[in-house]
Amino acid sequence: MSYITGVIERLRDLTKNIKEYEIILEDRVEPEPGQFAMLWIPRVGEIPLSFADAEDNIVKFIVARVGRVTGYMHERLMAGDRVFIRGPLGRGFTWAPSGRALLVAGGYGLAPLYFLAKNLRIAGCSVKALLGFKSDDDIFYREEFARLGEVEISVEHGSSGYHGTVLDLFRSVIRGRSYDVVYVCGKEELNLAVMRECLRAGLPVEASFERRIKCGAGICGSCSIEPLGLRVCRDGPILDGRMIAPMLEADED
Amino acid sequence: MSPALEVELAGLRLRNPTILASGILGSSYGLIKRVEEAGAGAITTKTITREPKEGYSNPVFVDLGFGYLNAMGLPNPGITAFKMELRRAAENIRIPVIASIGGRDEGEFMEVAEHALDAGCSAIELNLSCPHVGGYGLEIGSDIQLACNIIRSIRSISSRPVFAKISAYYARPDIVSRYIGSGADGVTAINTIRAAAISVESMTPILSNIFGGLSGPCIRPIAVAAIYEIRRELPDVPIIGVGGVDGWRAALELILAGANAVGVGSAIARKDLEIFREIIEGLRDFLASRGFKSIKELVGYAQRL
Repeated sequence: MSYITGVIERLRDLTKNIKEYEIILEDRVEPEPGQFAMLWIPRVGEIPLSFADAEDNIVKFIVARVGRVTGYMHERLMAGDRVFIRGPLGRGFTWAPSGRALLVAGGYGLAPLYFLAKNLRIAGCSVKALLGFKSDDDIFYREEFARLGEVEISVEHGSSGYHGTVLDLFRSVIRGRSYDVVYVCGKEELNLAVMRECLRAGLPVEASFERRIKCGAGICGSCSIEPLGLRVCRDGPILDGRMIAPMLEADED
Repeated sequence: MSPALEVELAGLRLRNPTILASGILGSSYGLIKRVEEAGAGAITTKTITREPKEGYSNPVFVDLGFGYLNAMGLPNPGITAFKMELRRAAENIRIPVIASIGGRDEGEFMEVAEHALDAGCSAIELNLSCPHVGGYGLEIGSDIQLACNIIRSIRSISSRPVFAKISAYYARPDIVSRYIGSGADGVTAINTIRAAAISVESMTPILSNIFGGLSGPCIRPIAVAAIYEIRRELPDVPIIGVGGVDGWRAALELILAGANAVGVGSAIARKDLEIFREIIEGLRDFLASRGFKSIKELVGYAQRL
């Protein structure tokens, strides 16, 4: 699979560290929510990005400034610039066409969950999203999620919504009402903690995992989750709670 | 009775002739375990060096359609950290674990091999052929005398099998003879071939390192020629054939040329780990349909007069 050429159609600042890129591709792609693409900027680098949305040949990525390549994107890329992607790669979320879904996002982990929420709504599921941020200034995509279902915000420092971590919010929400399935994307501690609670409660759960992805084809082993030998780029990035269960048990010892 | 796929390779007993090639997935215990479960007959670790190596930055892999190009840059945790993974693999993995050893000089090869042997690897494979990392691999293997010296030194500390992984450029019977004379038990032929790709759209090289190693179906005829020629001149040398094994037909082609076992590598990008079962079942069906009792009968079969 070689690269598909894309042109940045529109970009907007979501927070001071996070931008949204809308890219028009010269070919149509059909990603499943949870799948990702490798985005290549010639002479700069190549990074994995979850699809935040895709329709025909238009895709959206939400990019937090975390390193060299994302720093370059934030500072230098502008509308009209050319980028290259290969994908869709990896395994997306599995989802049933009915029921009540709870989405738990830590910061920019909301990107694949937004794409998922859109698909869940189209399929007739009811969606509730818990979006966790550090402070009031870090909040984004609240309105976008509100168009698809119920939204609750948590901030660790500030006055919006629930005061605390999104994990605490999740714990209080899950006590009050029953859900058919939980999807989570955030830091690994958040993913594992939510997965552990869901497994205990007998609730289906899937999480999107993050690793340094290199080949993106499942052959180099750079993104393996050890000791399970699960490759984030190929077996994931979306992993079922039952696949992760041996790690959760080991963690508790 | 279903035909036998067991092979013997310089004293190693393999349940079937498929081997995970070096550089692919063999960097951690978890991955090695999964490849064992997928059915492989043996596994080769990623090349291990003395110090940890970060490897090159992305892009490191290109799917060309007719083959693959990679320049990972020998990323590995270094022998000290990898030793624990290797020890765990040696204790828990039931198929042979071949440690791929890298180095810039004889001293580094010796030090890494000593630790790998101590950790319990089943055999050693010397990387004399990686085509895109300065100071390593092919830069060692292009000096035949240096390669012979390294082989002799490793032989002196290893009672376990030693394989030299060779480049297509040096996959000649006379050179292989010198390696065997220096103490190698066998050869792994061939490594990837130095190559590069340029994106016409961006008008730039694709790999961050510009140069990488070409693998996949497009290099299979080169592997077949190398294996055929070595087998013709050296009828008893154990050969692990590597290059473009993307299914049972390709595996069989290398075996018919003279390989005792075959490495499987970048084809995992297309077929994932199921490729091991596909090869094993395909070989078994072929043997049965042609009335052969064992895969061993077909090693070098294409060279019968």
